[in-house]
Amino acid sequence: MVIISSILILIISFFIFTGTPVFLKNYSRIKIFCSEIAGPVLKVFGKPVEGMKYVFNNYINLIDTKKENNALKKRIGELELENQKIHNLEEENRRLKSILKITEKNPGNYMVARVIGEDVKNWFKCIIIDKGRDDGLKEKLPVITPKGIVGQVVEVSKWHSKVMTIGDVNSSVDVNVEGRDTRGILEGTDHNVLRLKYITKNDEIEVGDKLITSGKDGIYPKGIPVGIVIAINKNKAGIFYDIEVMPYNNFKRLEEVIVVKRR
Amino acid sequence: MKLYTCILLGIIFSVFESSLLSFIPAEFLKPDVTIPFIIYITFFTTPHAGLITSIVMGIIQEVLSTSPNGSIIFSKVLIFLLALFFKNKLYIDSRYSFSYICAGAVVCESIIYILLSWLAKGETKHIENVIFFMLPNAVFTGFIAIFIFSFVEFLNIKFFNKD
Repeated sequence: MVIISSILILIISFFIFTGTPVFLKNYSRIKIFCSEIAGPVLKVFGKPVEGMKYVFNNYINLIDTKKENNALKKRIGELELENQKIHNLEEENRRLKSILKITEKNPGNYMVARVIGEDVKNWFKCIIIDKGRDDGLKEKLPVITPKGIVGQVVEVSKWHSKVMTIGDVNSSVDVNVEGRDTRGILEGTDHNVLRLKYITKNDEIEVGDKLITSGKDGIYPKGIPVGIVIAINKNKAGIFYDIEVMPYNNFKRLEEVIVVKRR
Repeated sequence: MKLYTCILLGIIFSVFESSLLSFIPAEFLKPDVTIPFIIYITFFTTPHAGLITSIVMGIIQEVLSTSPNGSIIFSKVLIFLLALFFKNKLYIDSRYSFSYICAGAVVCESIIYILLSWLAKGETKHIENVIFFMLPNAVFTGFIAIFIFSFVEFLNIKFFNKD
């Protein structure tokens, strides 16, 4: 009986995977229901993360400096922690100021969201933010930071949303090379570096060139910084260069992001 | 009771992994915390409980991931079926043998995902990445499985009295 049920579930999940509408529709309802339960739990779990983050960034990194003597070690530790705390506050202040600079230009167009989690599988590159359908988010909205582009919203639930970063292998961004008449498609590789495609060998491009969004992909607004060209393989066979790009954002270190609600 | 506890622990660990590990800049440190629970329940309780665990864990992982709909449930249920098949062929005599089986299950899960993507959609984009993380995920899941096994056994002795 269990084996028959298992095989039945395998068949159903296979149909869901292949996108068969009847199965997909019902499954989406179940998934949305589960997402709506998971949302508040993620937010609750996100709170101790702040404390853990603080401990990880400050205390654990300082362990090596605390080997002298106990009293001195404790004092140094306390001072360092205090110092780091001020440094962190300054850093946070600077970050929030730069976000505010963007959002106060057109307050209705932007929404600041906090990153509360990331993809539980390292096969995919996605982050989870604490704003959802209730805050007016919907799929395909671009997500940025003052440094540059992050990705796009791919799944929205009541409390939270999933953002596919531009580092994901399924992500493509139409980009221009700043100051040059060169345009290409930037694709994720699932690693830190991105790949710029369809730049022909007679296009102008050099290592160190900055990339900005072209606005022609219908998702990302024009002129947002994306990354910098770090390597060009000019010896590759074919008509296109093989170009590597380093994004401005480190997707593992994001704390706040801006969702562009109106392009 | 043991089933509900394992499911609850699996959910808590998954949410914890998603929110807490997001700030650690190490891609390799991402064990599949649901696999040890599926293996444990399948090997030490009824097949019915194993099936329920694998479905719930699959849904939870899909909620916390951008994986294609149905893919994780498919692989988890197939892992459950494999575990059920090997239940009388493999003998778990310690936490270490349990950890080897969990590591093997992670490798199987990656292969199942690759085959599913390939056969169903002709989708090959993620394959390189799945292969890249297959061994680190297996090793780290095996490592975590030692602690999960000890913890569940502790709960088992303390509260469930080996029911």
